[in-house]
Amino acid sequence: MAKESKTPVILSLSSGKGGVGKTSLTVNLACALAQKGSQVLVVDGDMALANVDVLLRFTAHKTIRDVLERGEDPMKAVIFVEPNLGVLPASSGVPEMVDLGPAEHVLLGNILSSIVGHFDYVLLDTAAGIGSSVLWLNTFATHNGVVVTSDPTSITDAYALIKILSREYGRKRFFLILNSVATPQEGQQTFDAIARVAEQFLGIQPQYLGCVPRDNVVLKAVQEQLPFVKGAPRSKAAEAVVELAERIRRFKRE
Amino acid sequence: MDQRDDAVISCPEGKSGCPVVAEIRRLKEQLETLKKEYDRVSRLTECDPLTGLFNFKHLEVSLQREMERTRRTGFPLSLIMIDLDHFKKVNDVYGHQVGNAALRWVGRIWRNGIRITDILCRYGGEEFTLILPATSLKQAVLAAHRLRTSLANTPLVEEGEEIRLTASFGVEVYKATDTFSADEFLKRADKYLHQAKAEGRNCVRSMEDSSAGGETEVLPEERVALFITRWPKL
Repeated sequence: MAKESKTPVILSLSSGKGGVGKTSLTVNLACALAQKGSQVLVVDGDMALANVDVLLRFTAHKTIRDVLERGEDPMKAVIFVEPNLGVLPASSGVPEMVDLGPAEHVLLGNILSSIVGHFDYVLLDTAAGIGSSVLWLNTFATHNGVVVTSDPTSITDAYALIKILSREYGRKRFFLILNSVATPQEGQQTFDAIARVAEQFLGIQPQYLGCVPRDNVVLKAVQEQLPFVKGAPRSKAAEAVVELAERIRRFKRE
Repeated sequence: MDQRDDAVISCPEGKSGCPVVAEIRRLKEQLETLKKEYDRVSRLTECDPLTGLFNFKHLEVSLQREMERTRRTGFPLSLIMIDLDHFKKVNDVYGHQVGNAALRWVGRIWRNGIRITDILCRYGGEEFTLILPATSLKQAVLAAHRLRTSLANTPLVEEGEEIRLTASFGVEVYKATDTFSADEFLKRADKYLHQAKAEGRNCVRSMEDSSAGGETEVLPEERVALFITRWPKL
């Protein structure tokens, strides 16, 4: 275990739309960061329909719900899938965990604050949609990652999320990740379109973190419950994720 | 003192005119009087004697407490700064007694138009402040409009003469994610009040009127802009 009181980069990964590959991307980014020797924590922020445990093939015995409702020690709920890669799992099939109330968010904030100091990078994998917990996790993060595909519905939903976070929550710095792109040009063009509209209508300048190509290893990794960064390290997708991790390592800590 | 109290302190030996019982009754009455006096005095320390509204001291204490509550519960806290329009004129034309009557009048009208949880204070002079716990900016702006119309539509009648009063309103909200101080909160609401004054008085101003913030719905023009390069040129 690392010493406490680091100042971690807390990166949220949201998308508005579901099915764009947030959880898969989060898990692989976490592995890539951990491979570089950093202490990494993944928080399964989809607190009612958790999936991180599925993609990493482990069974959670204690979840965020136990910590919130029964006051369990949060570090005891963290499962270390690698010595330096921990996961704070969430419950699945618990409707009342979909959108926590303000008091629970305050509590969750205290819980997360008490453990993030053990890590260099904390990745918050949020649920789809723009529910209160998604928005709250984004305000808890130091950096807001937005996962988008070039699908028009994904673009619209990502923009809607950015608009709410900037208008209602004063968030200004967004990092866009284009997932599942046919070509790097497609990724860049999609980013350019969103960035242009965000600049024109919201007065903010999202940054381009990069893109991950459409690659069969991604689907295979989900089937096999083994992150492609580990299972297929030489694949294009894995190389792209390692590149993203490198850029995240250059984030300024605050 | 009610019957039951009397029964409790009747003489155990059944003597009528027992001096001990008489003394106990006298003391109980005195206690009641002192309780009432205590209530009156504590109200005085937090109330403005002229209008009967809360005073500035109570405003400061309440604002701190409600901001803390918002940080704990997440419910937004709204604040309205209010200034009567051209009040100096009322004093100049009708005299200070009518001026004071006008301040009392305003307090009476507004006290009836707010919820029991709202805290209406006289900030000083002809300025008032309304604290609205668990109230969003939108709701607070509506509340300010209600106060504005109720005052504008209900003139004060003094010595057979109708005196029309209006006020300007500045509204601001404090959310759980905000980090500014109570002082800053008051200043921000005051800024919108100044804007209301500058833009003709008898109106309500808030962040909703400026372009930043407010609506989050994705507008048709934003949708068009997102996909403009994909559509074939006409």
